[in-house]
Amino acid sequence: MVKEKLVLEINDLVVNYETDNGTVHAVNGINLKLKQKQSVGIVGETGAGKTTTALAILNLIPQPTGIIKNGTIIVDGKNMLTISESDLRMMRGKGVSMIFQDPMTALNPVFTIGEQIAESVRIHEGVSNKDAMQRAIEMLEIVGIDKDRAYDYPHQLSGGMKQRVVIAIALACQAKLLIADEPTTALDVTIQAQVLELIRSYREKYDTAMILITHDLGIVAETCDEVAVMYAGVIVEYGTLEDIFNRTKHPYTEGLFNSLPNIIERRSKLTPIPGMVLDPTILPDGCVFADRCSYVIDTCRTTFQKDIAVSDTHIVRCSRYQEPGFNIKRMIA
Amino acid sequence: MYRYIIKRVLLLIPILIAVSFIVFFIVDLAPGDSIDAVFGNELSTEDKETMREEMGYNDSLLVRYARYIGNVFKGDMGMSVLFKKPALELYLNRVPATLKLAFWGIFIALIIAIPLGVISAIHQNTFIDTLSTILGLLGMSMPSFWFGLLMIILFSLKLGWLPSFGNEGRGSIIMPALTVGVGQAALLMRTTRSSMLEVIRQDYIRTARAKGVKEGVVIYKHALRNALIPIITAAGTQLGIALGGTVVVESVFAWPGVGKLTIDAFNARDTTLVVGCLILTTALSSVLMMFIDIIYAFVDPRIKARYSR
Amino acid sequence: MKGLRKERGSSGFWGEVLKEFKKNKGAVTGFIVFSLIVLVAVLAVFLLDYKTQITKINIPEALQPSSWKHPFGTDQFGRDILNRILYGAHYSLLIGLCAVTISTAIGSMLGIIAGYFGGLVETIIMRTMDVISPIPSVLLAICIASAFGQSLISLMLAVGIVTVPAFARVARASVMSVREEEYIEAAKAIGASDINIIVKHVIPNSLPPILVQATMRVASAIIVGSSLSFLGLGVPAPKPEWGGMLAQGRSFLNTSTNMTLYPGLAIMITVLAINLIGDGVRDAMDPKLKR
Repeated sequence: MVKEKLVLEINDLVVNYETDNGTVHAVNGINLKLKQKQSVGIVGETGAGKTTTALAILNLIPQPTGIIKNGTIIVDGKNMLTISESDLRMMRGKGVSMIFQDPMTALNPVFTIGEQIAESVRIHEGVSNKDAMQRAIEMLEIVGIDKDRAYDYPHQLSGGMKQRVVIAIALACQAKLLIADEPTTALDVTIQAQVLELIRSYREKYDTAMILITHDLGIVAETCDEVAVMYAGVIVEYGTLEDIFNRTKHPYTEGLFNSLPNIIERRSKLTPIPGMVLDPTILPDGCVFADRCSYVIDTCRTTFQKDIAVSDTHIVRCSRYQEPGFNIKRMIA
Repeated sequence: MYRYIIKRVLLLIPILIAVSFIVFFIVDLAPGDSIDAVFGNELSTEDKETMREEMGYNDSLLVRYARYIGNVFKGDMGMSVLFKKPALELYLNRVPATLKLAFWGIFIALIIAIPLGVISAIHQNTFIDTLSTILGLLGMSMPSFWFGLLMIILFSLKLGWLPSFGNEGRGSIIMPALTVGVGQAALLMRTTRSSMLEVIRQDYIRTARAKGVKEGVVIYKHALRNALIPIITAAGTQLGIALGGTVVVESVFAWPGVGKLTIDAFNARDTTLVVGCLILTTALSSVLMMFIDIIYAFVDPRIKARYSR
Repeated sequence: MKGLRKERGSSGFWGEVLKEFKKNKGAVTGFIVFSLIVLVAVLAVFLLDYKTQITKINIPEALQPSSWKHPFGTDQFGRDILNRILYGAHYSLLIGLCAVTISTAIGSMLGIIAGYFGGLVETIIMRTMDVISPIPSVLLAICIASAFGQSLISLMLAVGIVTVPAFARVARASVMSVREEEYIEAAKAIGASDINIIVKHVIPNSLPPILVQATMRVASAIIVGSSLSFLGLGVPAPKPEWGGMLAQGRSFLNTSTNMTLYPGLAIMITVLAINLIGDGVRDAMDPKLKR
């Protein structure tokens, strides 16, 4: 069997933030592999370490507080954490690019949007200013902004248009891997669909692999092949869409689904996950979800949790699956 | 944009008229007048009194002010008793020297402050940051005229490298400009540092890095351009202060500018010249501040948009 | 309930500020140095005799270099420079502190009245400030100092008045920001008088920014004050005001470096200590600015 070339390979990534109030354990040993064209959705609550993981891939963890304690991140064969400064610059934007979360602050207020897109093209394609600007205008048209607006400044644009500009910057150089961090959170529902469609058609054209970060399971179902469920800096469950949605294994994933409104059965009650998110400065010995889990037993709190493969594609990090016959109650008809 | 400038100029006029009244009033409070100062012992008290009567010195404050401001609108700011020349002419002759001093001072301040401020912001809490913070505090705490005197002792008297006074001779601008510049540099460095610290934490700086922009370009193009706005504000305020502050520096170096003229006028109780100097210096610094406001527009498109509205 | 909320909030706030201030090494150093200067200034006034040790002319000992007898040497009249500097400390401190007290009192009062009442009162007060503030402050101070004659009091007034607009603006801005707060609405609703509201609610809430501004201004007031004395418009000779001492030293730059070096150094150390305190107060009051 010929091993398919990986676009992204993350091994045992650990990221901490050293703050005045102690060490925040943002990411605690993550593994992730991504092939060409493949797309994976990372879902989880705020503070689960999704954005930190994304920034780590670009080696853009905020300095000096953020520290990558352990792990390797290989994008297109290059280790982002050890390559030289100039190689890293070539990878950023060309090897891997990112759509940032908040379009209101992600654009530089003193440059025109055309300039901001063209800059990326100029750096990576080695073209003249004029050609780069031409490409920038093409990109604007691709994301559905009139070319006359290339010379506008960010403050002249609406929120939705700013988000499209942010997307245009990320797509400008056909990166092999695209990271989209909540690309639609700031947008109206109607525009959300357009933006997702835009990203989808673009990926099809250039065979781009994608990591989509979101807390919206609906968007994941529409756009991703695989899903990683994150909780407290750990991927608690990983699998294909089928695996996660129809063969849910981890109690936290079950909790996520139960807290979604059910359209078919409107009268059914929403069931929120009890308890609070873990204090991120404390790293427990056992399971990170133990305090909120309804299936918890004593050993959960003391045993180090390992990945358990339930099938070729489906991994769950819950020690109770070592017990024969254990399963959560969630049943999909 | 042009409408904005015209609006600003028109707004300046009533403010300057009000300033002239306040200055006129305060100067009037001072004991003694120019006739005492110039003819002190030469003339008898009665002769001086007749002179006052003739020159309208005994009229009420409001009458004298109305007469004065009326003449000002005709371009006449009165005669200096000390120099026996029109106050306006005397002042205008001294303006170039003061502007030269103020601009060189600010220029020196900026070329010291911006690089130092940027470097200490990007190397926050390191040795170099601590060092420049301490230098900044020292510069801010030092009376500028004292620094000027120390420089005269070292460079003029001990080493003989630079002339100790005047606007002539090679290098005569160096010490006065440094005297003006060093204190300003300290303040501007602190502004630059805090402004840069604010900006480099912004999301758009991360966006630039994610595009693969070189670190130097990230700092000097993406960050500094945004950080410049508070720096320009501070530099503008400093320029205004520098214009007033040149009084002291000009006096230390006998620099033939408007500050020296003002002090000479004060010492001679030449009230006409004092009032003229104060009004014109205020006008000069207000006009400079206005230019600073206009420069903003070229740095920040958001402000430009506001102006043209 | 209202009172309870405020009390708890404010005592916690000041406690927090004190804690933050103590953590700041520079600020604590500045505070210690400043306390020592104040101590020296007070002791010098009581222990040194003005007639015999400060102003007595002793030509045979004129312009001596540093020695055991005169650590900082002597001036052109043979007076001990160290003694004069120690004795002169209280002038600078008084100028700095009194000038800022004057401008804080007048400025904040005007600012609070303008901000609280708004309307025509505000327009008149703030327009007046707009007219005073474009006049370069050193020039205005010179003007006022010469109008009131050459004395310590006149110098304090001059230095104080020029910073009034700055305080008025800071005070007004902070009043505007609390004016619309709910507890003020509530106090109005239960019929509290304007004076009552201003004293009980508006002033305590406007205090932090005014205090930060005041500390910073003490430093610049000392420098402006000594500049004016240097120009011959401040404390008259033979009183050993530091700026005035520098003015005298100017005529002896060639023969006596001591006469110029030490008084300036004294100004710098005093101002530095106050600036350190000022930075500490600012950082402690506004943790956002501290990095």
